[in-house]
Amino acid sequence: MRPILECQRLTKKYGSFFALSELTLSLDRGQIVGLLGPNGSGKTTLIKLANGLLNPTDGHIMINGLAPGTESKKIVSYLPDRSFFSEHMKVKEIISYYTDFYDNFSTDRASKMLDTLEIDINSRFSALSKGTKEKVQLVLVMSRDADLYILDEPIGGVDPAARDYILQTILTNYNENATVLISTHLISDIENVLDRVIFLQNGQLALNETVDDIRLKYGKSVDALFREVFKC
Amino acid sequence: MPWNLDNDRPIYLQLMERIQHDIISGVYQPGDKLPSVRDLAVEAAVNPNTMQKALSELERCGLVYSQRTSGRFITDDTAMIKKMRTELAQEHIRDFFDQMRKLGFSDRDTLEMIRDTIRGINNETNT
Amino acid sequence: MLGKLIKYDLKSAAKIFFLLHVIYLLICLVARFFYMDRLRFEEPVEPLVFSLILFVTLMTLLISALSIFTWMQVAFRFYRNLFSKEGYLSWTLPVSAPQHLWSKIISGYILMAADLLILSAGVLLLVTGDNVTSAYSMIADELENELGFSLGSFVCLLFITCLINCLCTVIMLYFSILVGQLFPSHRVLGAIAAYFITSFVVQILTMLLMLVFGFFPGYRGYSSAYGLDYTIRLLYMSLILMLIVTAIQYIAAHYIIKRKINLI
Repeated sequence: MRPILECQRLTKKYGSFFALSELTLSLDRGQIVGLLGPNGSGKTTLIKLANGLLNPTDGHIMINGLAPGTESKKIVSYLPDRSFFSEHMKVKEIISYYTDFYDNFSTDRASKMLDTLEIDINSRFSALSKGTKEKVQLVLVMSRDADLYILDEPIGGVDPAARDYILQTILTNYNENATVLISTHLISDIENVLDRVIFLQNGQLALNETVDDIRLKYGKSVDALFREVFKC
Repeated sequence: MPWNLDNDRPIYLQLMERIQHDIISGVYQPGDKLPSVRDLAVEAAVNPNTMQKALSELERCGLVYSQRTSGRFITDDTAMIKKMRTELAQEHIRDFFDQMRKLGFSDRDTLEMIRDTIRGINNETNT
Repeated sequence: MLGKLIKYDLKSAAKIFFLLHVIYLLICLVARFFYMDRLRFEEPVEPLVFSLILFVTLMTLLISALSIFTWMQVAFRFYRNLFSKEGYLSWTLPVSAPQHLWSKIISGYILMAADLLILSAGVLLLVTGDNVTSAYSMIADELENELGFSLGSFVCLLFITCLINCLCTVIMLYFSILVGQLFPSHRVLGAIAAYFITSFVVQILTMLLMLVFGFFPGYRGYSSAYGLDYTIRLLYMSLILMLIVTAIQYIAAHYIIKRKINLI
C-alpha cells in the first residue's frame, strides 16, 4: 500500500534559516506516530507543509501519493497548535460548518463526545475556557473519518485528567487504516500510545524507530532517550 | 484507569504479563471472551497495535485462542492454566529466596521465619 | 463548495452590515419626514440655504462613513479569514485557492453593491418628496439646457459605473493584501503600500491617457453641446482603464494565492 505521507528531500527556508533541510521520510498507514523534537526543530513546519499551509522551498511532500491540495485536504484532519475557529461562532454553528465542508465528518460522533464532556453546543466559542476550546477543536478533528490525522500539540494546554480523555478520544476514533501523527513536548504522557517516534533535530531526521524497539535497544523509555539525545 | 507500566521494558511484554496474570488469578475465567483489541487498548491507554502484538504472542503460547468471526477467548485448558499458575508461584518463591539470601539469611533461617510469621498471624486471628 | 463558502462568509458579515445600514435608512426616513418635507422652496431665504448646506454636509459624512466601513469590512474579512489564525481552518477545507479567491470576490462584491444600493435608496428617499420634485421641475429645463443632458440619465450612468467600480475596488483590495503576503515580516504594511502604489500608478495612467486623448476641458474648450458626449466618453474611458487594471490585478492575485501563500 502507498505510504500515507512521504517526504523527499523536503526543504523549507525562512529567509536564510533552514526550518527543514532535505528531510526524507515515509509514514505507513495504520499507526500512531509521535513527532518529537526541541523547539525550532521543524515539527510545525513539516505539519504545515503537509497541510498545504506552506509551499516547500525544495523537494516534495506527498499525501497518499498526491501533493497537498483539494484531494489531500479531504483525507487529512488537522489540529493546529492554536485556536482557529472564528470566536463569534457558536459551537453548533461550527459543527454545521464541518458537516457542510467535510464529507467524512460524523455529526453524531461529535455531538456524543461534546455531550460526554458536558460542553453546551449553544455557547459561543469566545465564551469557552482555553482548555475547553482545545477539547472542542480536538473533538471536531477526531470526528472526521480521515486517513491521516495531524495533531499539533493536542495535549499542551489541558489538565492531566483531560489529557487522559484526549488520548482515549484519539485511540477510540481512528480506524485501522488511518495514521495519526502527533507532535508534542509531553512525551511521557503519550509514549504508551505510540507505535513509532520520529525525532527531528535542526530540520533533519535524527531518529525513526518503534517505541518497543527503542526500549529493547536502549533499555530506556522514549522520554529518557529524548532527554539524552537533546541534552542542553 | 490506565495500566501501570514500567518505562524501561517493551510495552507488549508488560501487556502480556498483565493479561497472563489476570487469567491465572481468575479475573478472566477459562473459556471467557476477551474484550476487543481496541477496548483493551483504550482500557490500558496503549497503542492498539501493541495490544494486538501482545495478544498474538499470548495466542502463540496457547493461553488465548481466536475464532475467526467471534473474537478471542481464554483457553479452556484448565490444566494448562493451573500449570502456569504453579510456575508463576515457583518463580515468585525463587525470587523471594534470592532476595533473602542477599539480605544474608540462609534458606533454613528463611523457612523458620516463614513458620514464625504464619504462627503469628494464626495467633492474632485466634485471640 | 463555492456556494457554501459564500454562504458562510456573508452570514458572518451580515449582522453588523445590516444593523448599520438599517440605522442609515432610518436616519434617512426621519430626515425625509421631519426635515426635507418641511422645507419651503417657494421663497429661498438665507437660513434655508444655510441649513441645507449643513444637512448635505452631514449626510455626505454619514454616507462616506458607511462606504468606508463596508470597504474596511471587505478588506478585513479577506485578511482575517485567510491570513489570520482563521486561515488555519480556511486553508484546510477541501477547497482550491482560486475557489477561495472567487468566493471572496463574490461575497465582497455583494457587500459593496448592497452598500451602494442602500446608500442610493437612502438618497432617493430624501429627494423624492413632493416639495423637492416640484421645486426641481421648475428648474429642470434650465438645468438640462445648461448641462446638455437630463439629470436622470446622468445619475443612471453614474450608478452603473459605480456598480462596475465596486468589482474593481474589491479586486484591488484583495490584490493589495495578497501582495502584502509576499513580505513575510511586513504583511500589513506591504498591503497598504501595494494599495497606494497601485492607486498612484492608475491615476498617473488616467492623466496620461486623458492628455493623449485630449480630454481636458481647457484643452478642447467646454461647451454645453458637448456636455453629455464628453462626460460619457470620460466615463467610458475610465471604466475601460479600470477594467484593464482590474484584469491584471486579478491575474496577479490568482497567481499569488495559488503558488505563493505561506501562512505564518
